[in-house]
Amino acid sequence: MSEFLQHAPSHRAVRVWIRHLVMYRSWFIAEWAGSLTEHALYLLAFGYGLGRFVPDMGGMAYAQFIGPGLVVSIAMWSASYESTYGAYSRMRLQHIYEGMLSAPLTIGDVVLGDLLWCASRSLIGAVLMLIVLSAFGLVGSPWAAAVLPVVFIEALMFAGLGLIATALAPSHSFFNFHYSLIVMPMFFFAGTFFPLQGLPAWMQTVSELMPLTHAVVLARGLIVYGHAPDALWHLFMLSVFTLGFLAVACGLVGRRMLD
Amino acid sequence: MPEQEYEVEGEGLAKSYGSVKAVDGVSLRIRRGECYGILGPNGAGKTTTIKMICGYAIPDAGSLRVFGIDAVADSRRVRERMGIVPQESTLDSELTVYENLWVYAGYFGLSRKESRPRIEELLEFFQLREKWDAQIKALSGGMKRRLLIARALIHRPRLLVLDEPTTGLDPQARHLVWNRLRELRRQGLSILLTTHYMEEAAQLCDRIGVMDEGRYLVEGAPIDLVRERVGEEVIELRGVDEGPVLRALDGLPFKPERVGDTLYLYCRDGRVMDRLIGAGRRDFLRRPATLEDLFLHLTGRELRE
Repeated sequence: MSEFLQHAPSHRAVRVWIRHLVMYRSWFIAEWAGSLTEHALYLLAFGYGLGRFVPDMGGMAYAQFIGPGLVVSIAMWSASYESTYGAYSRMRLQHIYEGMLSAPLTIGDVVLGDLLWCASRSLIGAVLMLIVLSAFGLVGSPWAAAVLPVVFIEALMFAGLGLIATALAPSHSFFNFHYSLIVMPMFFFAGTFFPLQGLPAWMQTVSELMPLTHAVVLARGLIVYGHAPDALWHLFMLSVFTLGFLAVACGLVGRRMLD
Repeated sequence: MPEQEYEVEGEGLAKSYGSVKAVDGVSLRIRRGECYGILGPNGAGKTTTIKMICGYAIPDAGSLRVFGIDAVADSRRVRERMGIVPQESTLDSELTVYENLWVYAGYFGLSRKESRPRIEELLEFFQLREKWDAQIKALSGGMKRRLLIARALIHRPRLLVLDEPTTGLDPQARHLVWNRLRELRRQGLSILLTTHYMEEAAQLCDRIGVMDEGRYLVEGAPIDLVRERVGEEVIELRGVDEGPVLRALDGLPFKPERVGDTLYLYCRDGRVMDRLIGAGRRDFLRRPATLEDLFLHLTGRELRE
């Protein structure tokens, strides 16, 4: 028990977050240009290109249907990259975690600080994507802003998942599995591009088990209508996944960093 | 907190990795204000001992108190009062020199404003003032090591722990580090270091402990240990036939050791040399006994790789 408490996070996680912010200042613009362009292209290609052949989606144009999913997926991609390639470099190549642990920070502080950072970055991406959507007239309610706290929790969750992969990875080529088996399937099958209703039963079950699905449902409701069905249930599920991944990430990072 | 005499008190510490006993029953006490060195060949268990003291490794057995605090149960509190200088650089290569220091000060709860005067003072002390805005990769090995020590001192720790502080540095850089550490020691800082450089231990340490294969062999002040275990001086004869030499010295107190083509004579006083000269020999080297002699005497001469 005392060993567990030794690793528990505290307010000092904020100092870790500050460190990442200081590091990030000089990178900011170049990084977002790429990811944002990519997601804007999805919107154009699928929403407006493919969308011409897609009938009405329960009262929404196809672009309006996929737009909210793109907001949460840009956050998923951003949190995943930062917590895999970014954290791998910090933890395994540059010994930055090790430096933090020579100060009175715990594994929990370092992990939570990193996840908060990943989530903050993802939030920037989500805000930018939301601005793009509103420029295309795809935001239906000022309550769309309520998607941002959802994105933050969702991004914490993907950062936790990414950090688990980082703690387990024998080398960074291991992340190919993370992306092809976890991130890509969610990008395509969590309800961003087509409704889950009417899929074969097994696919529907798999999709409903994907944590991103909850974020997509919430985002679509909030951005298009200003409210989401079963919002509390989806938030609860997102939070459960997030806390679970955080705990596992702490355990695995601790195992890698301490003897 | 009551003032205790010892900064570190370890009793019967043990730590295994799989079937390898890295540390096997080590007890050590580090006094307030002293510089204490742990010596040993590669793989002796020095780094593992340090790791336990810093809270990176949990001992399998034994008790460990640092500053009177149970170091196993509360390593965060221990590290609040301790400065740690690891063997490999853990400087933040994505930040500048100044950013490294104020960000690190933040890990101790110091604000950027609070830490600034201390940073100026430390960069001055370690002759890094002009590197304020430099990137870490632009620093030489010696500068990085000094910055690593400066960073460990940011919060005015009571005990500075250094794992092989000058490994890989050139002689100039090494002497500058030694000089700064002696100055810190003079100012009253307690210092714990590991090294396999005997000169480093002789230059810096008030007391040393020699480790091998996870165990402590001896502990004490370097000069006393050398005198007790080795003697006052060493005479080296190269490429000689040892029979006649030893016969000529018959009756005198000394210990001979043959290593390859060299015959070492460990002596208590000058009589051995006088007798050699009397016997007409000039082909020897006479020098004071050093820690290196003690170290080789204790840990043997076979290679550790």
